Amino acid sequence: MKLRNKTFIKWSIALVICCLFSSCYTVRLKNVYGDPKPNPMNDSKDYYRYMDVQEIDTVITIKATDKDFTMLIKDCGPSGISTIEYRNTFGGVLLSAVTLGRKRRVRVKYVCMKPTN
Amino acid sequence: MATTKSHPKSSWDTLHNNGPFDLKTLHITELAGSTHMFSKYDRYNDAAQEIQRLIREAADRNEGFRAYGSAWSLSHIAHQKDNMHYNGFMSIHIPIPKELTHEDTNYTNENLFFFECGNTIKRISEVLGSHGKSLKTSGASNGQTIAGCISTGVHGSALNVGSTQDYVVGLNIIIGDKPTDVVYLERHTKPALNDDFAKKINARVIRNDHLFNAALVGLGAFGFIHGVVIEAEDRFLLKRYVKKIKKELAMELSDTMDFKNSTFKIDGEVDEDGDPSRPYHYKVFINPYTNEDKYVVEVMYKKPYQAQYPDPFPVIKTSLYKDLIYLLIKVSEKFPKSIPWFIKQLRKTILPEVNEETLGTLYETFWDAPYQGPAFAASVGIDHTNSSKAYKVIEKMTQKEGPIPGIFAMRFVKQTDATLGFSKFPITCMLEIDGVLWEKSRKIMSLTEYSRRMIEVLQENKIPFTIHWGKNSDWKFPNLVKDMFGDKVTEWKSYRNGLLSTEMQRVFSNGFLEDTDLHTPNEINEEDLIVSL
Repeated sequence: MKLRNKTFIKWSIALVICCLFSSCYTVRLKNVYGDPKPNPMNDSKDYYRYMDVQEIDTVITIKATDKDFTMLIKDCGPSGISTIEYRNTFGGVLLSAVTLGRKRRVRVKYVCMKPTN
Repeated sequence: MATTKSHPKSSWDTLHNNGPFDLKTLHITELAGSTHMFSKYDRYNDAAQEIQRLIREAADRNEGFRAYGSAWSLSHIAHQKDNMHYNGFMSIHIPIPKELTHEDTNYTNENLFFFECGNTIKRISEVLGSHGKSLKTSGASNGQTIAGCISTGVHGSALNVGSTQDYVVGLNIIIGDKPTDVVYLERHTKPALNDDFAKKINARVIRNDHLFNAALVGLGAFGFIHGVVIEAEDRFLLKRYVKKIKKELAMELSDTMDFKNSTFKIDGEVDEDGDPSRPYHYKVFINPYTNEDKYVVEVMYKKPYQAQYPDPFPVIKTSLYKDLIYLLIKVSEKFPKSIPWFIKQLRKTILPEVNEETLGTLYETFWDAPYQGPAFAASVGIDHTNSSKAYKVIEKMTQKEGPIPGIFAMRFVKQTDATLGFSKFPITCMLEIDGVLWEKSRKIMSLTEYSRRMIEVLQENKIPFTIHWGKNSDWKFPNLVKDMFGDKVTEWKSYRNGLLSTEMQRVFSNGFLEDTDLHTPNEINEEDLIVSL
């Protein structure tokens, strides 16, 4: 009986870990053309190393009557966007589930295009 | 007015984390806005004055000053401990009208373009593409700046073309803070632009093959390369094949470069006699830890450009969890014997897919390579006739004294005219090992120790070699550069001594030049070297 319990707990932990990992993912849209705007001061060790990456990390509230949600980006100017990344996390999924979809965690990173001379 | 933000900074690192290195100040210069200064030449000259101001300030503080672009070099060649200057925002480009070409030039003005130092290979390709033109070759990717590429000798595997510096026909260098310290260099035997162009950039013209070739792969030691004139060519397509062929055949092709008489034949890639065509590009990938009897090779053939062809870009790209790579490398440091197994498991990520075929421009074929964590690359140049011999001795050493976490590749480059260009053999085989940066442990030697063993093994076997300036090595190895380049070192120093004042030689020096003993002037120098011929 004890052995069965242990096996059950192990499988449950594995299942939870799988769920956590699968609900945490990154989707990135990248422009094929142009250079990303550089930032030589950004010596992070992620994908955006030496890029001028901007981050939005907020919780938005969507009313029942709202069809969609548009956030305006003003800092890229006419150069446009080089890369935009959307990240989903387990916490974000949980928040949405608990609030029946009214509150959504938005975690977005983006890099503008390097201005041309 | 061009503006510079100077940031106090205690350390600097390469893109691939090969440092960190000590630093005092990081300068970032941005050009004047085009709405305030309409003429591109005015904005360019305004930036030159700003650079001269920074050079004077550094000299007055008895400090060094060095420009860098994308930080892609894995060696410490771009590093300067006092002042580093990021020039990625200095990216003007100017096409050349016919009236600015030299009366004796053999270049067509439609193929000549003037690019400021901070233009990346990607940006240059886009500009050229909009004119129906292309670079002749590039490295395996496109993020390097043009000044960085030529200063370190970035190359692809274009057998009949050469490296990035080999299509540069004019150099605008700032060698100090005086008005006469802006120079425009060309070869006297192959002039490209006339003195009117030099006047437009306020430069003193020196047409001299020897000086030009010395400054071409200048290692950042000849001053601040502000702009380059390149020769482009009509846009073309590359048909790319990935094949798995017998080891013996891959090595025979490397040693002989005789594709015409080989048994390596791809349907449709034949000449008028039905013999195999000579490819534009040939690359061999080698995993030193398997006993497979075949190697993966990548071959490309040049085709005329046509508007309609299948989209060469994949829509979705995935990458490994960086934490997974980090974990693998930590395991490797403790248990190096696991490295061959890891490489085998990751082969689909590391190697191109066999039987893959693509068609695209140079720009599309050698596209972006995003940062994927700490990396190393050690690359030696040997005469292609020594390819299999050199690989054999280095493979033997790696298997016996390693393993280390990387795989080998061989690329082939036509000879350069640059005095200290590492592609110095008629066709140079660049034998390189790339992989994930590791830390020395009780069970695995350090990268510097491994690089030293590469040098020792080649010397023991009497195989003449060079080393890629922008890659990892034991750069303090005694007499290394003299051993690689012989009398060319004295020639290179002579022209540096002649062009730069003693003060400016000190300003444009760095730890890399000191380690390689290239910073010290010759004891005796010929006079009047710096003249137009």
